Amino acid sequence: MRKFTILTLALAFVATLKAQNDYSKSLNGIEWVKIESKANINLRTYDANELLIKGNRRVETSEKAKGLRLVGEGGNDNTDVGFYVVQDGNTLIVKNLRKSEGAEIYLPKTQNVSVKSTWSGDIEIDGFTGEIEADAQLNGSIEIMDVNGPVTANTLNGDITVEFGTVKQDSPISIYSTNGAVDVTLPGNTPADLSLSSTNGDIYTNFELKREEKNGLKSVSGRKVNAAINNGGVNISLKSTNGNIYLRKQ
Amino acid sequence: MEKNHVLELIPEYLDGVLPVEIQKQVEEHLLKCPKCQKEMEEMKLLFNALDTEVVAVPSDRLKAKFEEALEAEKENMGQVVSLTSRKRSNWASNLLKVAASIALLVAAFQMGSLFQQQKVDENISVLKDETLQMKQTAMLSLMENQSASKRIQGVNYIDEFEHPDEAIIKALANRLLNDENDNVRLTAFEALSKFTSSETVKNVFIDALGQEKNPSIQIGIIEELVKIQEKKAIDPMKKLLDEEETQPFVKEQIKTGLPKII
Repeated sequence: MRKFTILTLALAFVATLKAQNDYSKSLNGIEWVKIESKANINLRTYDANELLIKGNRRVETSEKAKGLRLVGEGGNDNTDVGFYVVQDGNTLIVKNLRKSEGAEIYLPKTQNVSVKSTWSGDIEIDGFTGEIEADAQLNGSIEIMDVNGPVTANTLNGDITVEFGTVKQDSPISIYSTNGAVDVTLPGNTPADLSLSSTNGDIYTNFELKREEKNGLKSVSGRKVNAAINNGGVNISLKSTNGNIYLRKQ
Repeated sequence: MEKNHVLELIPEYLDGVLPVEIQKQVEEHLLKCPKCQKEMEEMKLLFNALDTEVVAVPSDRLKAKFEEALEAEKENMGQVVSLTSRKRSNWASNLLKVAASIALLVAAFQMGSLFQQQKVDENISVLKDETLQMKQTAMLSLMENQSASKRIQGVNYIDEFEHPDEAIIKALANRLLNDENDNVRLTAFEALSKFTSSETVKNVFIDALGQEKNPSIQIGIIEELVKIQEKKAIDPMKKLLDEEETQPFVKEQIKTGLPKII
């Protein structure tokens, strides 16, 4: 009887291990990884040149769905972790098929990533040096920490928070929200041409802004501020139609 | 010879300087050809007139007067000029000469540098043209880049062009209407909004208003179309007003904007 118990326990353990199996795929020849999800997406860096999707431990395939495949809008589950992954040229398309279960995804630091949240999922991205495109189309928010490359971020209702490490590239940074706040932190010595604008919100910053002068007159319009910091450099455009803009010096 | 006229030989014939043979041939031809005869008569008249013309000869009195004036002039020239005054005039004229040559030098230098400047200006304008061309190429190719940030960079190049040509406007319009990235579309809209006097841009804005889902871009387009009082914008604006998914503040913007389009 004891032997039997141990055996069942061992079997159960193996079964859960299998259910928790992570999915990984080589990134050879891949320039862009495009992730699409309705639920939260948490993007982290690690050293391997592979895409790694960590299955959510709490999710266990229900008894009824056993032996069946998950069918989503974008395609069928071909990863056993609820994702549809397919390569299209030099782009790897990664779709989360579950509508309410988020995921943690690991990629190498230098990977160019494009993340889209199509419902209320929040996007969190941490530690990348490549290019980042993030788009929260409905209610999701975007949080990008410790980033060095060009960022393009857009939300409808969620807030956007971005903390930059060193910014030294020349391709523009563009962060827009319709109803959310835009909160950006930059190192104090970042050379940049700033364009801050909010139609119905306010703009706050602790940077010394040299306002652009036109015929000796300073712009006093609160809706749009164009200014250079540290003698100008990369274009940084922050814009919110109804939310506030916060630009912080690190 | 009979068929060929002898018009060009007539003057020599009349002067009697032609060789005997040709003289005879001309005579024979003249007998047969009324046209040449007529020409010869006219020529004769002219020659006679020249011969009878009296050559005007100055009268003796005129000659005497001229001699008189010449003598007087000679006497004036012969006057003794004092040494000092001559020296002074020499010194002054030398100074003048030096001044004149310096002036000439300076003028020549100025002219030279002026021409040089013109040439440099020309070169610069050619270079400017070339860099504009290069910028246009760079801009158009950046706008096709896979990276959204690079496409935005391409769109931002519009600041370099005061009068962008149709190719640039079309490329920007293409970004506004078809780019999958909201930030690129919004940047393209901002770039185009500087050229709302262009008919193409107006039409692109109206098309974009019919299909754009991003409220920030909708707001921007509505603002611009109201500003230029574009009547064709009324229909798509009313349509947006009826749509359920249009954001309330966009509807508000339309409601305040519509009456301003007269």
